[in-house]
Amino acid sequence: MNKWLIIVGREFKTRIRRKAFIIATLLGPFLFVGFIAAIVYFTSASETDAKILVVDSSEIISYEMQEGVVVPDSICVQCFPEREFLEYRFTKERISVDEFLASDYTAMVEFDEGILQSSKALLEYETTVPLRVKAALKRDLSEAIERIRVKEEANLDYETYKKLKVSIGFVTQDVITKDKNAENRSIVGWGFSMFMFMFILVYGMHVMRGVIEEKSNRIVEVVVSVVKPRQLMAAKIAGIGLVGLSQILIWSLLSWVLFLGFGAYAESSGMLTSILADQGVEVAATDMTTFISSHEDLGFLTQINWITMLFWGVFFYIGGYALYGSMFAAVGASVEQEQDAQYLMMPVMLPLMFSYILNMQILESPETTLATVCSYIPFTSPVTMMVRISMGVTWWEILCSAIILIITVILMINLAGRIYRTGIFMYGKKPTLREMLKWIRYKG
Amino acid sequence: MTDNSNLALSLKDVRKKYGDHEALKGVSIDVPKGSIYGLLGPNGAGKTTLIRMIAGITGPDSGSISFFGKPLQADDIDKIGYLPEERGLYKNMRVGEQAMYFARLRGMNKATAERELRGWFKRLDVDGWWNKEVADLSKGMAQKVQFIVSVLHKPKLLILDEPLSGFDPINAQRIRNEIIRLRDEEGCTILLSTHDMSSVDELCDHVALVNHGEKILEGEVLHLRERARAGRVNFSFKGNLIAFTAALGGSAILHNVHSEGNDLHHMELGIPSETPIENFLRWSTQEVDVISCSPRIVSMDEVFLKAVNSINS
Repeated sequence: MNKWLIIVGREFKTRIRRKAFIIATLLGPFLFVGFIAAIVYFTSASETDAKILVVDSSEIISYEMQEGVVVPDSICVQCFPEREFLEYRFTKERISVDEFLASDYTAMVEFDEGILQSSKALLEYETTVPLRVKAALKRDLSEAIERIRVKEEANLDYETYKKLKVSIGFVTQDVITKDKNAENRSIVGWGFSMFMFMFILVYGMHVMRGVIEEKSNRIVEVVVSVVKPRQLMAAKIAGIGLVGLSQILIWSLLSWVLFLGFGAYAESSGMLTSILADQGVEVAATDMTTFISSHEDLGFLTQINWITMLFWGVFFYIGGYALYGSMFAAVGASVEQEQDAQYLMMPVMLPLMFSYILNMQILESPETTLATVCSYIPFTSPVTMMVRISMGVTWWEILCSAIILIITVILMINLAGRIYRTGIFMYGKKPTLREMLKWIRYKG
Repeated sequence: MTDNSNLALSLKDVRKKYGDHEALKGVSIDVPKGSIYGLLGPNGAGKTTLIRMIAGITGPDSGSISFFGKPLQADDIDKIGYLPEERGLYKNMRVGEQAMYFARLRGMNKATAERELRGWFKRLDVDGWWNKEVADLSKGMAQKVQFIVSVLHKPKLLILDEPLSGFDPINAQRIRNEIIRLRDEEGCTILLSTHDMSSVDELCDHVALVNHGEKILEGEVLHLRERARAGRVNFSFKGNLIAFTAALGGSAILHNVHSEGNDLHHMELGIPSETPIENFLRWSTQEVDVISCSPRIVSMDEVFLKAVNSINS
């Protein structure tokens, strides 16, 4: 055990001090924060013109001027000015989803008695509405509501006027999925699973290279005279896995610190309030979390259970990495140089690649049978399950998938260990996959 | 049952198969304590398999290996040092750090390992290398570090597979001296696998020759060479060759005659074992003017070739 730990320590130490590792680990979090900043920037900077359909079935703010032409009434007409990036159309009758999809409307908002009472409007869209459009829409609708309320009051004093002031909020909904914010949340899951894919691949390759190095320079002979080949393989996988785990944890921690630091700066410097003011929202002060949760495009970030995501992220990383790492170790043990490993890597990487491609599809339609099945198959579950977890999945499904993964990992380490212990002493010809499978039955 | 008390290592009828290939077909060898034991054989003879078993890397399919009188066990590995034939070091580690790593794998604690290492570094003239990157070492330099790493933990049995390959003559001599010192001063038993027959002549007390997974020859180097000499002597004289040959009759067999002019002759003579060499000398000095007479030196090279060829034919 002691010697095993010495090996784990070497694998860990020699990698964690590499310049490339240090640079990647320290820069990573800046990339994440940059990524979030990019979302804010691009959503507010997208300059495509929007055309909003206001469904005013009770004719609260509009009237039918002539057959088929609905325009704002005299009270509200000033609330909907002509803007270069935003155009309004009014209708008395709700249109169907198909009609909406066929039309050139960016989004539709329903104006009914409900909005007067709750100040919440349902904004339906096919693709996410630009932030700037949303801000303008919000201002316009709020003004309309205020005007209507003012008109209904006979003797308006200042106190009543204050009560009438309103700032409406939106409930956004995808017309197709009817899911509120699911799409955004799944992007986070997708991000997690991309990292998962990347980590499993990168550190799996580390294992393979490490095994090839030891084999080709014959150090392996010295080491396996001290510990059993399977222990050496396990120590290598563990040591390199710890490197990946450290990177994940340092990234998470740094991102969090960076987020808090940036939040504190943005708050104290008044950056957040001025952003809000640009969008026509006057607030005295706000903190980062409130800002994000009220932000139309980032609000979903606060709806995600980050602790749960991180926990399962770490778990599926460990499981997925151990599974693929041991397969990569078996491949590494079978060849003498990296170039020779190509044809053996294909079958190992195939399921991983598959789960990567499958991810795109899951984003579009999360609840397919294929996605569900793949989130149980241990070769795809580490990547696939992360997307599903972000979109909400029952705990027993995760647990099931986790248990299947653990069992498979144990079996695979055993199997790969058998190939490994024979492979590391085979020099000369490149083995075929069939020969490698034959090694499983060899005695140690 | 033979007496095992003076044996460092004893292999009995060891067999090993890899798939259909029979790498060892029942090999038995006895390595005496404190000897330098040469393990010889052509490429693919099964030497590496044998060595790997002794180093605890693989186990035999059948047969037994005993180590200082007891069956070889996993714990014994700390008492064995192993220098594999084609060897390397981790490129991304410093020399001292790497040597420490291997020392600790062999069960040494940090303080002892460092003290021993510093001593060895001094002895082999690699003092300033502690913080050198392995990637910066020349082949010979790396070989020295590897040698040190394999002997650092004071093994009772040291397995060296081609320890001298890659060294320049000066450093090769240095390593040879270290091997002899390890045996003489530290009582280390050394199993030396090599193709370099001159180092076998110089270093080994005992040898075993394996070929095609079988042992075809084993014994003390002096004894084997004496046997291969088969009573031959190198003989030079001044005088008449024809007269000498006639006088010789059938009492000795003439080989490889080489004459300088009419007068000076060199030859190899096969003297039957029943004739003492003194008798032959007494007789010959009466017949001709003897310049020199010495037992022919048979190198292990010849012993090796002869044995392998006789098996192959």
